Amino acid sequence: MPKGIRLQVETHLGDCKECAESYHLMSLAIRVVEEEKRLHTNPFLVTRIMTGIEELEQLRESNIRIPIYQKVLKPFLFSISVAAAILIGVMFGNIYLPSHTTNKLPVELSYMNDAALESVDLFSNL
Amino acid sequence: MTDSEIIQQILQGDRNRYRKLVEQYQPMVFRTCMGFLHHKDDADDLTQDVFIQAYQTLPAFKGDATFSTWIYRIAVNASLNKIRKSSKSQFLQRLETVFGGEKSKDYSFPIPDNENPENILILNEHREWVQKALNSLPENQRTAIVLSKYDDLPQKEIAEIMNTTEGAVEALIHRAKANLREKLSSLKKKSKK
Repeated sequence: MPKGIRLQVETHLGDCKECAESYHLMSLAIRVVEEEKRLHTNPFLVTRIMTGIEELEQLRESNIRIPIYQKVLKPFLFSISVAAAILIGVMFGNIYLPSHTTNKLPVELSYMNDAALESVDLFSNL
Repeated sequence: MTDSEIIQQILQGDRNRYRKLVEQYQPMVFRTCMGFLHHKDDADDLTQDVFIQAYQTLPAFKGDATFSTWIYRIAVNASLNKIRKSSKSQFLQRLETVFGGEKSKDYSFPIPDNENPENILILNEHREWVQKALNSLPENQRTAIVLSKYDDLPQKEIAEIMNTTEGAVEALIHRAKANLREKLSSLKKKSKK
């Protein structure tokens, strides 16, 4: 700013309270911005970025290298085997059916009175 | 070697060339992130994310704009996204504060040796006012003022980054300054009460 104008501004700031307040507030803002601008990045930031990129590339390459067997066939076979195991389990469960034709209880058994049978206590008292 | 030539080499598989671009542009990306976030560690992390994102989208870089304009755009968008996300999780932050897990304020700013403790407190209070006032600006005004004051970019470059005209940038900066003055004044009045 030229010297003459600077002097005029300073004189005005001395007289006008509103402009002086405004100038003060804006100089506060400029001071804070200048402080933040003076901060530097972490010295290892470049290394961190390059490491991050390397990891990303390795991940991408390893994804490409995985053969089709591992990528598709392995999960497919695993899913099939789980489904087969469930199916076989259900089938085995259905094999057992209560028989209606064999091992029928003799009719006489239904006439037996269990309560009238000899009690175990009878023998233990001997 | 120009940026475009370096990018060509990177795309051909020489990924170590990217280090040169990072070294060259990281201070300006960091300053932009700092202008939006006002926290050194957050700005460091975001700078890292910006460069990784830029690397991933490098094949999409057509060279219509310069690399610096392109990376500034990524930095501005990433900063705005981060702010939007953090404002969404303000409720969680409040909960954290209640349970004593408040994020430490970054007072790693250089303090002059001869400054007395009272002045340091006042300085911190002023810093908080300015950060609050900047954060209260609308996104486009905030972007314009950050690129202008933190990165010292000319209006023409800011217009390119923001995909707008120089006149619009001038108007945005003018309005941002007026809003800043108003907000700072109200914050000062509040602190006096």
